[in-house]
Amino acid sequence: MPKHDVAVVGIGQTKFRSKRRDVNIPEMIYEAVKMALDDAQMEPKDVDAILIGNMDHFEGINFSEMWCGIDATPGYLKPVVKIATGGTTGSSLGICGYYNIASGIYKNVLVVGWEKLNEGGATTGIITAFDPVWERPSLAGALGPLALMANIYAAKYGITSEQAAKVTVKNRSNAANNPFAHLQMPNITLEYVMNSQMISYPLRLHDCCPQSEGACALIYANEEETKKITDNPAWFKGVSTAHYYTFGTDDIMYDLPTATIASKKIYKKVGIQDPIKELDVAEIYEPTSWSELSWTEALGFAEQGGGGKLLDEGITQMSGELPVNPSGGVLSTNPIGATALVRFAEAVIQVMGRGGKRQVPDVETALGMGFGGSLWTELAIFGKDPNPLR
Amino acid sequence: MDKVAIVGCTQTKYEAEKIDLTISELVFEVVKKLHNELGIINDDVGCVITSSNDFNDGRTIANMAVQDAVGSVRKSESRVSGDGAFAYVYGAMRILSGEYDTVMVVSHGKCSEGNQFLINNSIFDPFYQRHLGLDQISSAGLMANIYMTKYGISEEHAAQVVVKNRKNAINNPFAHLQKEVSISDVLNSPMLAYPLKELDFPPYSDGAVAMLLTNEQNAKKYTDTPVWLRGYGSCTDAYYLGHRTMTDLIGLEFAAKEAYKMAEIKNPVKDLDVAEVFEAFSTHELMIYEALGFCGKGEGGKFIDNGETQMSGSIPINPSGGVLSSNVGMANGLVRVAEVVLQIMDRAEKRQISDAKTGLVYGMNGICSQGNCVLIFGGE
Amino acid sequence: MGKKEKEFQIKWKTDLPYKYSIGKLAVKYFEELKENKKIMGSKCPKCGKVHMPPRAVCADCLVEMTVNDMVELSSRGTLDGFTVVNYPFIDPTTGGMRPFPYGYGIFKLDGADTYMMHFVDETDHTKFKIGQRVEAVFKEKREGNLGDIPYFKIIRDESEE
Repeated sequence: MPKHDVAVVGIGQTKFRSKRRDVNIPEMIYEAVKMALDDAQMEPKDVDAILIGNMDHFEGINFSEMWCGIDATPGYLKPVVKIATGGTTGSSLGICGYYNIASGIYKNVLVVGWEKLNEGGATTGIITAFDPVWERPSLAGALGPLALMANIYAAKYGITSEQAAKVTVKNRSNAANNPFAHLQMPNITLEYVMNSQMISYPLRLHDCCPQSEGACALIYANEEETKKITDNPAWFKGVSTAHYYTFGTDDIMYDLPTATIASKKIYKKVGIQDPIKELDVAEIYEPTSWSELSWTEALGFAEQGGGGKLLDEGITQMSGELPVNPSGGVLSTNPIGATALVRFAEAVIQVMGRGGKRQVPDVETALGMGFGGSLWTELAIFGKDPNPLR
Repeated sequence: MDKVAIVGCTQTKYEAEKIDLTISELVFEVVKKLHNELGIINDDVGCVITSSNDFNDGRTIANMAVQDAVGSVRKSESRVSGDGAFAYVYGAMRILSGEYDTVMVVSHGKCSEGNQFLINNSIFDPFYQRHLGLDQISSAGLMANIYMTKYGISEEHAAQVVVKNRKNAINNPFAHLQKEVSISDVLNSPMLAYPLKELDFPPYSDGAVAMLLTNEQNAKKYTDTPVWLRGYGSCTDAYYLGHRTMTDLIGLEFAAKEAYKMAEIKNPVKDLDVAEVFEAFSTHELMIYEALGFCGKGEGGKFIDNGETQMSGSIPINPSGGVLSSNVGMANGLVRVAEVVLQIMDRAEKRQISDAKTGLVYGMNGICSQGNCVLIFGGE
Repeated sequence: MGKKEKEFQIKWKTDLPYKYSIGKLAVKYFEELKENKKIMGSKCPKCGKVHMPPRAVCADCLVEMTVNDMVELSSRGTLDGFTVVNYPFIDPTTGGMRPFPYGYGIFKLDGADTYMMHFVDETDHTKFKIGQRVEAVFKEKREGNLGDIPYFKIIRDESEE
């Protein structure tokens, strides 16, 4: 148990779109910040500290938090710090916020993740993540390695393109119930996905996530402050992180070892022995449809190679025993600096019962996942109280 | 406040261009040294917090490059994209939460790999400021000009800071520049951004620093002289240069007040034995004296005239030589922490301030003290 | 009603040059590649894991590897995964767009314990198969950079048994 319990008491998201030409960066972030402050009925001056997450290179602004922290959040004369870890930025941010409160240093904290990556060169930005000597000359951004992972996974377990396509159909039709999601496709069909262009075998266009612009803000508070703010918070039950080698190809990672390591750590901490039964909903970070199949295995929802069967049996559908990505997931919305934080936000929304049309009934325990970097995983489990299950 | 201790720290020698080392090798050097000094293995480290900056390293997700070197495979590692002092704070939070027994905090800077002017120019927003070509040099010139004019600070006052720090650096085996300069050397160096000249500014250095943090129960396992966090304050000033009070470091003042309150420091000059501050240019250090409450507003020049901040003075500032002697990019704040730790542990050798029990660290983010972190450390 | 508001944008382009240090092991790697058509990895003196590409730290042991720990690897490997990239992307070495489609493979060179990715000379995914053998194709005039091995070729006769 941490020193202080941590709850999420306010949530804000922008409506994610491919291009938000109507606002500049601070204006866009402010939309989410204002929504979160209003949600928590908090005055800007009452915020103790601010954490911001964003990848500098994607918009070409160094120390972007020095600008946005002041212009878009109540950062003036307050602590402002940036956490930036690539795809896991949102979850690293979410987890840093947890330690800000759990340590007792601050009683509340505003956590904001954002990306406006169509203003800059996101693909060029991503390529600089790779080693300039060994990897950059030959790699083609994030999709090449993800395609390789999908290819190996498919070959090893005999997973078909059709099974992967079903993930996109599930997630993008789920997204139609989520007013914030970028790609909402209530009438999406299997044929639509399977007929889309082959981007990098075996990934088709609609097996891949979009590039979205937007921001997500969460407000956390300790147990005393939470009582004053809301009687419907969502509590952190635990967080975990696992990293891996610098070079992504040091190990064949179609089955995401870091997700296995991080999930074992967090299930032990929170007292989960049977994730399918004891988790009520999971928001996982699936950059491609194939990833969701593979990573439900790594997270312990299915045995190795059983991801396709899990989906076919309907367990991860909205009506199933463990709905995965009722919000539409990353396949529907991907503003890189915010994406993982949106997973936390959506898990929290489910626990609070505020999911509207995408609400899963009777959610007590929800999982949020972040993924990125050289195949790292970060997890958080939320619930109606901060205690472990057993 | 619960206790969090630093039980060991290591630094590389800071140099102009460590051309034969990759960033991974640079960081591995301090990590390995730290493990060896403390007699620990990788499994003894609970998690790692690093600090680095994508623009500085020329790499998105710059912390990807150091995973192997910090031993974070299968562990938790997180990166603060900012000055190392802020990474220390996050590391301390992880200990104070009770969830980790040991946290390693690592920061590095390899200024030689990038173009510092373009990198700093990119901090300015692309709508109103960037096209003016503002960077760390020109904005410092503006701040120095306004400050010196308002309070009647002379160029000699500024030069005294450089002379003091460069002389102190000779006693620091890690420092990059280890050669004395005179007042006239400083005054005669080429003008870079009026009124600041070349020697009013720091060099650009490569290097890395690492330290191990632990809790009260475990501190004595590693050292007889753990260094405890006694106070912390953090505050951000306005972003646009035109919104700042260019004559006073308001953000630093606020942060210091918070830290002093937490550490129960009533009279900073008396209660502190040593301070390591991030002085980005000469007059900056004078402004820092005032913001930290060592002297009154506008009295920074008088304060250095009186010799109070010399090694033998009432509040020695930057016995390590400061940033003016070794400018390691994002690692600067963490280097300041390491130097205060060495002082309190009585391991600062030739630069030791006798009987140093309480020290202050100032780490800075952004341009001209926009982001400020003040830490107060104490011995047993 | 409601005039469409004018949406303003400003364009900005910056060149950010960097000089990356490659480290002594990379220097030796490219020397051997250029002079002797040799591909070298680094072997951890503690656990014996052979790393390709060679690097200074064994992440599992946190032990240093130096130039003396470098070992020669075969220029052949077995394909563990492949893809055919079919979208435009910048070629970081030229600044222009790389012509597509092109093939990628992930494989371990014989003798190495870690995998590597590189171009493979096949653009039809139906002609790829996991388990195929691949071999490095060296440029005649090598310059001491990754371009000295422009791609790996699938060894057709060995695989088609």
